[in-house]
Amino acid sequence: MTLMAAVDASVKVAGLQDLTIHRSVSSIPFAGRYRLIDFALSNLVNADINSVGIFASQPFGSLIDHIGVGKSWDLDRRKEGLFFLPTTHQNGGIATVGSFRDFEENLQFFEKSRQTHVVVTSSFVAGQLDYKEMLASHLASGNDITEAIGASGSLKSYILSRRLILELIHSYREKRILSVEDLVNLKKAPYTYGVYEYKGYFAIIDSIQQYFKESLGLLDENNRRLLFLPQAPIYTKVKDEPPTRYLDGSDVSNSMMANGSTIMGNVKNSIISRAVTIGRNANLDSCIIMQKCTIEENCELAYVVADKDVYIEKGVKLTGTADRPIVLRKGERVTKEDAQ
Amino acid sequence: MNEKVVAMLLAGGQGSRLKSLTYDIAKPAIPYGGKYRIIDFPLSNCTNSGITTVGVLTQYQPHALHRYIGLGTPWDLDRHKGGVTMLPPYAEIDGIKWYAGTASAIYQNINYLTSCDPDYVLILSGDHIYKMDYEKLVEYHKEKQADVTVSVLEVPWEEASRFGIVNTDDDMHIVEFDEKPEKPKSNLASMGVYVFDWKKLEHYLEEDNSNEQSSHDFGKDILPKMLAEQKKMVAYPFKGYWKDVGTVDSLWEANMDLLDPSEGLVLHDPAWRIYSSNPQLPPQVITDTGRVQGSMVNEGCVISGTVNHSVIFQNVLVEQEAVVEDSVIMSGTKIGRGAQLSRVIVPPDVTVPENYQLLEPAAGITLLTQDLIDSWKESGQQ
Repeated sequence: MTLMAAVDASVKVAGLQDLTIHRSVSSIPFAGRYRLIDFALSNLVNADINSVGIFASQPFGSLIDHIGVGKSWDLDRRKEGLFFLPTTHQNGGIATVGSFRDFEENLQFFEKSRQTHVVVTSSFVAGQLDYKEMLASHLASGNDITEAIGASGSLKSYILSRRLILELIHSYREKRILSVEDLVNLKKAPYTYGVYEYKGYFAIIDSIQQYFKESLGLLDENNRRLLFLPQAPIYTKVKDEPPTRYLDGSDVSNSMMANGSTIMGNVKNSIISRAVTIGRNANLDSCIIMQKCTIEENCELAYVVADKDVYIEKGVKLTGTADRPIVLRKGERVTKEDAQ
Repeated sequence: MNEKVVAMLLAGGQGSRLKSLTYDIAKPAIPYGGKYRIIDFPLSNCTNSGITTVGVLTQYQPHALHRYIGLGTPWDLDRHKGGVTMLPPYAEIDGIKWYAGTASAIYQNINYLTSCDPDYVLILSGDHIYKMDYEKLVEYHKEKQADVTVSVLEVPWEEASRFGIVNTDDDMHIVEFDEKPEKPKSNLASMGVYVFDWKKLEHYLEEDNSNEQSSHDFGKDILPKMLAEQKKMVAYPFKGYWKDVGTVDSLWEANMDLLDPSEGLVLHDPAWRIYSSNPQLPPQVITDTGRVQGSMVNEGCVISGTVNHSVIFQNVLVEQEAVVEDSVIMSGTKIGRGAQLSRVIVPPDVTVPENYQLLEPAAGITLLTQDLIDSWKESGQQ
């Protein structure tokens, strides 16, 4: 029994607008150097799944830029490999995972495959799902569809046979179902439904609050140990950044730092992405700073999420809360006057 | 560049003064700068200079290098036309020919060069750390209508007697080579970077090969011969950081140079990236108890101790109460709780035990090998 995978990168997630103006949820930066989709893709390739379709809707420029031909995931193959399958609708699809309409538009991906089973998964869950184990559990149960369940609910990953998904793609309209998630929630007859219990770490990123909480949750060593397993690496696009520089006078503690940054100021309880500059005497507490941001000297930032390329001029003071972090949109420039 | 330039990168050196660092790998494969290997610098210079055909000549312990360079993908050298070609010594009908010197290494790959059919051949060394635009060097060579151009660097006068010194006239025409002169007449040192007209080079290589007296070396044989025959030889003045890392001390110095933003080599330069094979590791973490000052730290590290003025490679763990100062810690190393390290290079994948201290701190830099650690354990000092 062998697996192929359909990654739904077009799901509409309502709570993340500020971070999805120029990108889909799947390419939101997470954990300093990754994009959300890296976790789904890495889980798949770590289970030796070599045939992966990414179903994406506009805007997907950022996602294409990130994925390329799939080299970072070893999916640049002559046989099978990565299939980028854009869908025709704009601005995100439906709100549940595994849209049959999207699958129908790219029917050949399923028809031509020689694999027996299909993983249908979302691209906004970070974890270490073991699809080999999940397939074994699915086969042993004899159920038609298996759903991965974590401690706090569904991981939005499903396994079913290729034969069944083709049947569903041909009949979803009569059956009045929109997606695989929809089908599983409604438990439509005559199919049988089972669950696979996942015990490891996972983070579902479906709102800014969740994004903020789960990001900073990675500062807990236990979570990091469960997410970054040496035997199952999380792969991402390679960026050739030099190591991060900590200048004399900087002070960094309890923080996760990607490469290529220059730190002159003080950072605590924060996540700093690639190629960020933090000026002298700037104080950051509980912030998520995405790649290529510049924080000038003497800034005071607490509970701030700064998207890519944000520029914060010197002396700016911004204070959010854990429940309502201040979100600065991609490319925004913040002056002292703005902040007041 | 319109004309075709092929770079020949000499990467067969042993570097025996680097001790155990080069027991299993050639000198160009030595880790440097927190994430690189030395050969990344000349390779990235090629990429950034628009040179897309590169032959890499290997001989001593070539496996790590061959595996590392692979198809040349990190340097964009995986090309349909040109790209990177690994050139180890090979057997012919009359036996195996080892590379006896720098010139014989190139000579034995004359078939490779002929098949590339270049206009110019750039000879590079795989064990120098510098950023250089080779396109400018080749342009200079063309402008001067030289037969060969030797890249030179101004070195401090007091150190000039350690180098191969190039004496020139006012127009930078080379008039004399002075190998490690006691009384140098100039402070222009040869960097071992040459541009040749291919046809001229081919002629001199063939001539040199049939000369049984020759040591088959560019510096000792080919260039002096060309000078004696009054070929047009010019010096190209290179300005910038350049380091030939030959000893444990100089490898340490070259790493420390990176920590001085005004003096050293700038790695944080998007316009001149140094490309490297990137392992997929999570970001580094500085924990509650970690403190990092004046240092560079790579991905995958967890720092819970104190790191001061040091270069830390990927996947290094520094436990609580450990102190690392003025040191270079290579990848996969674990520094145990309470260990104190100062002025050391720790080779890859070493575990430094808890509370370790150097027994007899040396005047220079200590290469902290497993042997040293074992003898510390036996001494019962812990």
